[in-house]
Parts: sequence; C-alpha cells; structure tokens
Amino acid sequence: MIYIVDDDPSVREALDNLLESVGLQAQLFVSTEEFSRAHRVDAPSCLILDVRLPGMNGLEYQETVRKSGVRMPIIFITAHGDVPMTSRAMKAGAIEFLMKPFQKDELLAAIHYALERDKVYRLEEAEISALRSRFEQLTSREQEVMGLVTTGLINKEIGAQLGLSEVTVKIHRGRVMQKMGAGSLADLVRMSDRLHRRL
Amino acid sequence: MSTTIKRNHYVALRYGIATASVATAFTFTLLLQPLFPYPFLFLFLVAVMISAWFSGTVAGLFAVLVSTVLVDYFFVPPAHSFRISTTAEGYFAAFIACALVASWVSSLKKKSEDALKDALDRLEIRVSERTAELMKTQADLAHLSQVLSMGELTASIAHEINQPLTAVVTHGHACVEWLSANPPNLEKTRQTINRIIEDGSRAGAILGRVRSLFKKEAPEKSWVDIGDVIHEMTLFLREEAIRRRVSIRTDIVPGLPRVKADRVQLQQVVLNLMTNAMDALSDASENSRKLMVAARADRAAVYVRVEDSGVGIGADFKDKIFNPFFTTKPHGVGLGLAISRSIIDAHEGRIWADSCPGGGTTFQFTLPLQSSET
Repeated sequence: MIYIVDDDPSVREALDNLLESVGLQAQLFVSTEEFSRAHRVDAPSCLILDVRLPGMNGLEYQETVRKSGVRMPIIFITAHGDVPMTSRAMKAGAIEFLMKPFQKDELLAAIHYALERDKVYRLEEAEISALRSRFEQLTSREQEVMGLVTTGLINKEIGAQLGLSEVTVKIHRGRVMQKMGAGSLADLVRMSDRLHRRL
Repeated sequence: MSTTIKRNHYVALRYGIATASVATAFTFTLLLQPLFPYPFLFLFLVAVMISAWFSGTVAGLFAVLVSTVLVDYFFVPPAHSFRISTTAEGYFAAFIACALVASWVSSLKKKSEDALKDALDRLEIRVSERTAELMKTQADLAHLSQVLSMGELTASIAHEINQPLTAVVTHGHACVEWLSANPPNLEKTRQTINRIIEDGSRAGAILGRVRSLFKKEAPEKSWVDIGDVIHEMTLFLREEAIRRRVSIRTDIVPGLPRVKADRVQLQQVVLNLMTNAMDALSDASENSRKLMVAARADRAAVYVRVEDSGVGIGADFKDKIFNPFFTTKPHGVGLGLAISRSIIDAHEGRIWADSCPGGGTTFQFTLPLQSSET
C-alpha cells in the first residue's frame, strides 16, 4: 500500500493514476494530520510525502514519526528543495528526495526499494513479537534461568545463585530451550540478544 | 476698498496701543509720585518700549513725544507748566535720551525677531515641500525595488506552476502505461488525457494571473522626457555598475520630443534592459564591459537603444527571449523582458533584440510620438 500526502489535488490524483497504471494501490491524504488519523493496513507500505504542507510540514512529520519509534519508509517530493533540506531528510532516514516534476522510473524505483525495506522491517517485527510471546510463556523461574544461561554461566553456578540443585536447573534449562524453540545454546543467546535490543 | 479700511484700522490700532500704554504709565506715575521726592519717570520708559515693540518705530517715537510732553507738564519742576527749571534740565534731557534709546532698541529687537520668525516659516514651508518630493521619489523607488526583488515572488510562482506541471508529467507517464497494457486501457487513457488538459489549463491560468499582476491597472500617462529617464536610471545603477566594473555610456540626442507615457513603467523598461545588459557582461573580460544607452527620434517615434558588448545570444533565442519565464541566466526569472514588452505594447511601441554570438546584444524600443505636444 502506498500512502500519498500532498495538499495539491492535481498532484495527488496524478500520482494515484500513475500508481494505478502500474498496478500499485494508493491512499490519498491532504495533510499529515489526516494521514496520522487514518487506519493503515498491515502490509508492506510506504509514504510519499510532500515537503510543503499545510499544518505540520513533511520534514517535521518525519521527525515525529521517527521519535515515536515507528519505522515507515518515506519518499519526499517537493517543488522547491535545496541541499540542506535534502540532507536533513536523508539523514533522518528518508528513502529518496525527489524534485517535482519527477520521472516515473525514479519514483517507481524508490517505491520498490521502500516496499522491500518495509517488508524486511515487518519480518523483523514479526519475529521479535513471536519471540516475545514465547518468552512471556516461560515461568518466572524459567525466565531467570534463561537470563543466567545466556550470560554464560554453567548449571552449577546458576544453581548456586538461585539456591537450586544442579539437576533442577538442568530441567528448567531444557524447558526453556524447548519453549523458546532454540536448537542450541548459541540460538538461545541470539534470541535473548534480539529481545533485549528491542525491549 | 476693504484693504484701505483694514489699513486704517491697523494704523489706529498701533497708535491706540501707544496711547493706551502712555496713558497707563501716566496714571500710575500720578498715583505713585507722592511716594517719591523726585519725578518718577520709569513707567514712561516701559510704555515707550511696549509701543515700539507692538506697534513699530513710528508709534514708539509717538509714545516718546507724548511722554515728553506729559512729563514736562506734570512732573518736571515746576509742575503744571511747560517751563523747565535749570536744575531739572539735565534730568529731563536724560529722560528723553533714555526714551529714544528704549524706543529704538525695542523696535530693532522686534524687527530682528520678526525676521527670524519669517525665516523659520519659510524654512518650514521648504521642508514640507522637500518632504513631499522625497516621498514621491521613495514611492517610485519602492515600485522599482518591487520589480528588482522579484526573486521571492518568483519562487512562489515557480511553486505554483510546478504543481500542475508535475501532474501533467505524472499523468503523461500513466498514459503511456495505460496504453502499453494488454489490451490497452483506452478508457483510462481518455480520462488521463482529460486530466492533462485540465492541469495544463490550470498552469496557463496561473501565468495569466502573474501577467496581470505585473500590469499596472491604470498607467498614469504624462509627458515624459525619455532622456531624463535614461539619466535617472544611469544614476540609479551607477554604484552597481562600478561594483561590476561595467562602464556605462549614454548618447542622447539633445532636444528629444517628449512622449506621453507612464514614467515609472518606462523606468522599469530601461532598468530591465540595463540590468540585463550588465548581466550579459558578467562573462566578458573586465576591460571590455561596455554598456551604451542611446536615444534619438524621427518624426514618428523616439528610439531607445541599449547595447552591450557581451557574449550575445543565438538566433534561436531571439524569438523566445520576450516570453514569460524564458531565461538564459542561472538564477534568472524570465520575467524582465516579458514585462518590458507588455509595457511597450501598452504604449503602442515596439521592442526587439538584435544580436550576434560574440558580438554583443542590442535591445531597441520605440515610443510613437503623439500628434502634438504644445
């Protein structure tokens, strides 16, 4: 899904027409406010954003989105861009900064790249949320054991720390590996790493 | 008739003031005299001064005369006679001398005061005249600077034009896609082309608005000496020319007939052509940056020529340079010549360019002479 935010109706509709002609679906918005209120589909998507807009402008909106932690690929379009504007947008993670009038190939290339990027984001997000739900199914004791195992302690040391026998620790550890779906200790460490990075 | 009455009235007032002040002095002196062992004459001096101040030298002398008579008769011993005792002779003479001096000094002072006031008034009138002149010049300059600093305005115009243009290009791409589908989607193609027509017309409408923006609603036509306009603009651009190391030469045939025209608009045209010429010279070597403005006339029209020694323009540009938004300058707007042409058109004149690459460019415009200026 391609979201288009441009206050000029003729540009908005022309973009819609072009995207439709190449088989892409678009949703049109007049302002960033309208866009942020809208319901978004759960599918790879990207945002085509005009810089000069009524209310919050495109660059400010990009900043807001970034601060809220949402990863949304943005393609900027503007009639009067300059170097500082472009570099600000690109530094903040924009996919592309296109000057109006832009050529079809530039725009489509940027859109395909953005959609690819969003697909990867979404895959990562899905994996992490799956990991998290598995982690949340562990008992609190198992979570403790997992935390200590992944810091590199052996069963004996974990038992000493938690006041458990080595055998009990071993059982907990086996359950953790099973519930988390980890094939090896290395797997489990990687999972814990990803969970912590996102938490 | 009425002036004579007024004048008589004025003279009467003057002598009235003199008489009244002397009478007042006399009354008070009579009242005060018993208190003093000698003739108390100072109030008469005051009366003389007042008379001279408010009513002039003659009335002052009149007051001196009346005072002298009164003093002689009433106060100088022996009293109630015009005779003067020998002991009082010196005293009386001193009084007369003092009265004369007081009258003279007072009227002199009054005269200089009046002259000063008069000068101040005249100065004030001149200041207000000059202020009005300056305000007019400032208004003219404001109009000029409006034309000069169109940069910001053009940025917004460019934005306005760019939107429909973007739509047209994007629809164009879509059109190609709809046509290359298998089978071609003719319905979508037709819709898209209609959109293109709409957006193209919108861009045209924006340009129309811009054009009307630069057309002054009612040109204020007056008799204008084009030579004056050229001199003014040469002065106006002198600093800029020095900064850019351009030497400006003018060749204006003396005694050019004046034309009925909007002065500010002609200033704009001359200014546009001259700044264009200076821009064209920026690539020329420093000692060959020459700009020449010439004016001459025949029976039908006045001819103005602005010539630069710059790089010149190709023949293919010659037809386009007067079109709005056509420019060869990196940061050019492409409105200067378009505006100039619309102004010259409005004056029923012609404007054109002659140029050969490497040989500089000459812009010329004509302003037709009206049948008569008497």
